[in-house]
Amino acid sequence: MLRFIARRLVSSIPVLFGILLATFVIGRLIPGDPCQAALQERATPERCEEFNSEYGFDDPIFVQFGSYVGDVFRGDLGNSVQERQSVTDLLIDRLPVTLQLAVAALVIAVVVGVPLGVLAGSRHNSKTDVATIVGANLGVSIPVFVLALILQYVFALQLDDTPLGLPASGQLTAGVIPEPFYEVWGIGQNSLFEFIANIDLLNAVLIWRWDIFIDALQHLILPAVALATIPMAIIARMTRSSLLDVLGLDYVRTARAKGLRERVVITRHALRNSLLPVVTVIGLSLGTLVGGAILTETIFNLTGVGKTLFDAITGRDYFVVQGFTLVVAFGFVVVNLITDIVYTFLDPKVRVS
Amino acid sequence: MAIEELPLAVEHAAEAPPPQRRERGLWRDAFRQTFRKRSAVVGAAILSLLLFMALFAPLLAPYGEREVLIESEGLQPRTEPCIHVSVNWIPDVPVLSTVESFLESNGFSCSPSEPQHLMGLDGNARDVFSRVLYGARVSLGASVAAVSFAVVVGTAIGLISGFIGGRVDNGMMRVMDVLLAFPALLLAIAIVTARGPGLFNAVLAVSVVTIPVYARVIRSRVLSVREQDFVSADRALGVSGPRILSHRVLPNSLTPLVVVATLGIATTVLELAALSFVGLGGDPDTAEWGRMLALERNQLFTSPHLVFYPGVMIMLNVLAFNLIGDGLRDALDPRLNK
Amino acid sequence: MRQRRFRWVSAFVALGLVAAACGGDDDSAEEEGEEAPAETGDFEALAFDESTQCGTEGYAGNLAGIEAVDAQTVTFTLCNPDVAFPSKVAFSALGIFSEEQLEEAATGAPVDAPIGTGPYQLEAWERGSQIVLTANEDYWGDAAAIPTVVFRWSEESAQRLVELQSGDVDGIDNVGTEDFETVLGDSNLQLIEREPLNVFYLGFNVDKPPFDNEQLRQAIGYAVDKDRLVENFYPEGSIAADQFLPPGIPQYQDGAESFTYDPQRAQELLAEAGYPDGVDLGVLSYRATVRGYLPQPPQVASDIRDQLAQVGITVALDEQEEGAFIDNANTGALSFYMLGWGADYPDATNFWDFHFGAGASPQFGTGFDDMHEVLSEAGSTVDEDQRAELYAQANELLLQHAQAIPVAYGGSAVAFNAAVEEAHASPLSNERFAVMSEEGADQLVWMQNGEPSGLYCADETDGEALRVCEQINESLLGYEVGGTEVEPALAEEWESNDDLTEWTFTLREGVTFHDGSTFDANDVVASYRAQWDAADPRHVGREGLFTYFEALMGGFLNPPPAPAG
Repeated sequence: MLRFIARRLVSSIPVLFGILLATFVIGRLIPGDPCQAALQERATPERCEEFNSEYGFDDPIFVQFGSYVGDVFRGDLGNSVQERQSVTDLLIDRLPVTLQLAVAALVIAVVVGVPLGVLAGSRHNSKTDVATIVGANLGVSIPVFVLALILQYVFALQLDDTPLGLPASGQLTAGVIPEPFYEVWGIGQNSLFEFIANIDLLNAVLIWRWDIFIDALQHLILPAVALATIPMAIIARMTRSSLLDVLGLDYVRTARAKGLRERVVITRHALRNSLLPVVTVIGLSLGTLVGGAILTETIFNLTGVGKTLFDAITGRDYFVVQGFTLVVAFGFVVVNLITDIVYTFLDPKVRVS
Repeated sequence: MAIEELPLAVEHAAEAPPPQRRERGLWRDAFRQTFRKRSAVVGAAILSLLLFMALFAPLLAPYGEREVLIESEGLQPRTEPCIHVSVNWIPDVPVLSTVESFLESNGFSCSPSEPQHLMGLDGNARDVFSRVLYGARVSLGASVAAVSFAVVVGTAIGLISGFIGGRVDNGMMRVMDVLLAFPALLLAIAIVTARGPGLFNAVLAVSVVTIPVYARVIRSRVLSVREQDFVSADRALGVSGPRILSHRVLPNSLTPLVVVATLGIATTVLELAALSFVGLGGDPDTAEWGRMLALERNQLFTSPHLVFYPGVMIMLNVLAFNLIGDGLRDALDPRLNK
Repeated sequence: MRQRRFRWVSAFVALGLVAAACGGDDDSAEEEGEEAPAETGDFEALAFDESTQCGTEGYAGNLAGIEAVDAQTVTFTLCNPDVAFPSKVAFSALGIFSEEQLEEAATGAPVDAPIGTGPYQLEAWERGSQIVLTANEDYWGDAAAIPTVVFRWSEESAQRLVELQSGDVDGIDNVGTEDFETVLGDSNLQLIEREPLNVFYLGFNVDKPPFDNEQLRQAIGYAVDKDRLVENFYPEGSIAADQFLPPGIPQYQDGAESFTYDPQRAQELLAEAGYPDGVDLGVLSYRATVRGYLPQPPQVASDIRDQLAQVGITVALDEQEEGAFIDNANTGALSFYMLGWGADYPDATNFWDFHFGAGASPQFGTGFDDMHEVLSEAGSTVDEDQRAELYAQANELLLQHAQAIPVAYGGSAVAFNAAVEEAHASPLSNERFAVMSEEGADQLVWMQNGEPSGLYCADETDGEALRVCEQINESLLGYEVGGTEVEPALAEEWESNDDLTEWTFTLREGVTFHDGSTFDANDVVASYRAQWDAADPRHVGREGLFTYFEALMGGFLNPPPAPAG
């Protein structure tokens, strides 16, 4: 078991290095001169000389890569030209927003998708099954941004003055400035605390302000639902298909032959094993969620990783592109790793060996 | 197919035993199996409709793809749909008259004296219905092209990697892992930004991003087939590597590939639409559904038909391939009970 | 998106100011050199006299000296007469900061947390989300009616409208072209239009064939149906362009001759140019970014392409990424492109000189000597009638050389909740929230296109930033609410000498900054000096470019190495 974990860790290293290389290349692939991008109309040869030496753009490419790697290990991801903040600070500001959104979407996807999948799988070929399949397929087929726009239209406009009305933006109500929990508690401030404080839901609980919590929740619902639709459909599909796989296995047949009721067969015998592949799916969904977050964030006006990354790519903010892509990719690898480990931990076949 | 389903697809590809029957028999069986599922039939029907639209667009479209109607019909951009309903030859069937009154009450119907525009006009005063028809060509063509390219390259990588094994395999799979670590859309955006906007670059970007999926699936299949007796027999007989690949491994790898590729087309359509939505799809004049939607997204509340129709078409396109792919998967996967 | 956007500044003031410029006393600055403390009680007056630098190689500016004559009086001395000086002084980039805060300029304090004298002060800036301002209780003028103003932003016009309609925000900027009707039809909302102080044009690089052919360029000028573009793709209040200056600029010429829509003439010119059977001109480049002068870029590009096709000119559309597009324009890489310009300050020189003067950017290729001459003369003439004549000549030259074809002046609008009183749109994008009120509301939420990059007015050029920092920092003068007339602000009165080279401002008494410190003449001198002298340790902003100071006052002392064209 430990050996397995160790082996996975070791095999992740070249991937991580590859990611470093890839993000560096991506950053450099963005066309145009970084100096021109930053100073635009006011870029002159002299100012650009200064700029390039200050940011190291005039070193040979290998030196640049070397210093890039060194910086990353030291935690220095450079500075955003557009936002006048260090990339790390930007991350601390923006990543929590996307995380909150992705986790909320994941929770919705799992809480709705798994039961649906189980329901459909346990009634194979029945009307419920077909309805779920059709629904799941529809869910997977609708473009996120179309769904988001429609949700906005319906809940923010049409249902505006009704109890079902929801706000059109993903941010807190204007003028609401939640105090960071570390200030309320009177403890010191550091990056980790800042990061946690930027997760609005969590922070609201920590400062015991349930009005802010509700506000944050209300604003989070629409974007989370929009984002959750595709993973929900996939999870439902996977759960169903996995359950069907398991239901065809010998030990289930044995259980049935023993005369147990179908429901017991499913819940006590089949379910646990069929949920295993779903764990993998959940882990991998995080990647899709971050990708889909770009569109959702744009439509619901949330300043998260997706939107920042998109702005940085098109605005040629090199260090932000590198830094954010790096973190996202690293995060994905880490999540994969954890998912793998959890899976092998749960899978009795592997545990026994 | 979605990235999340990759591990399961790989697992199935690895475990599925090589076919005992001859190729043609298997495919005919699979075909029959697939279309016993109603959902797959629906999917096929939708796809046929889309293909029909794509092939016969020039005949079906009342206007040109880029025909601007400001001068010729004196209409403004974003004119509402105008559907001629009170035409005498529509029989007095209850359903049709309900449709008629619905259209009338929503202001979509108009008298025969006005030019008919089933889906209204877009921001440049072009007929949306015609553009939707022509858009089928681009959507279908682009997504199939993207997947084809990815399949070819991915298969090559997977075959070589799985067959040769060792360091080459390791190295290639690490590269695939790196590619998979990035959210697809992000990578696609980066590629398009680097190469410039345009349909070709968008297709290329989406292609590159999905190569790892096919590489993984093929490799997994290769690994399992490689150990089979008939392959060992071939090697003992001195059959060359590439020949084994092309005659033994490849044909046995097709089944999971077809499933994954079909589902992959669905995802590709969505990715392409997403790229257009964020503004990287290229020429505003080409009737591409994602682009049409993107251009009008701020008009959702004032002219919803401009967003609705391209959106629905994208959805139908994706749905069709998903349903067919699902059907194929159920039919070709030997583990599911018949 | 991110582009620095020059703000509109206009002044119908020139004439009014000439009238107001009465014979002042001659207050020649005392000693030369740097600080010259005078002894008036415990007020150590600051003064700077750089008159020796006027007209020298290393100094391109027009400012010769600033002096705090006493605690309530400041005098500016100029190298050359400047008719528009008061309207420049009113501009937000010349907002006044306290000496103390300027000392901290190196830390970036004014950029993140400016302290000013204005009716609102900065309460919090949550980057990415909102900026919250609260009313200044000790404001020298009428206190703000609404205690809290919140700035939000979204790039999507539909998003802004949804938030307005659902009541989450109270006012929005840049209502979408198609949404004007929606707002007008909604009794809960009010629509307020802004006059167009910009120009949208088609540009050519006259060095790149086939655009080096004057008749070809002229032909294109007559082939474009501007009315059709304005009618179909622009909101209410937009006007088809007949010259390079928009009507709000004082030197605008009524009844100027222009490129009318004349396809026949276009074809004749095409034939003269050597293309009787039409021609393929390659690409028309543009970017998808929405600007006041161009609210629907892809649609307009499409239509222009179609219009040109009707006279036999074929061109393909080349949509470029925003940053790359501007780079390409600035380096002269584009042959045929769509671009525009919004006024920085209320004078013809801002439009003409920047594009067609001797030091213009290479976007149009090699300039024309006859235009250089006319423009440089017009820029230094004081007599308005003479200037008008010169600019009329410039119009004719543009008609002939046709490096740019003016197409439209783009109008825009803001929308507010109907319950907001004194809601207005400023032609200078200088909305004053302090005068607005709403019954029962203690908070006003305003949603604009984008987030400010920084709040140090002096070092910002984007209207999004300037609108916010204007509420916080005031200048010596200001613009009237919703209009362009200059009115007193921190200065109660002003006067100049006969030849408009010396301007004296009498400051208001009893004004305090948000941090409680008193406002006096030294703060004014320090604020100007920090921008004026590039070698001053306080000459630090967000980017350190202080673009507006350079544009308005001509140049810096100890400037960084001059740009190469």
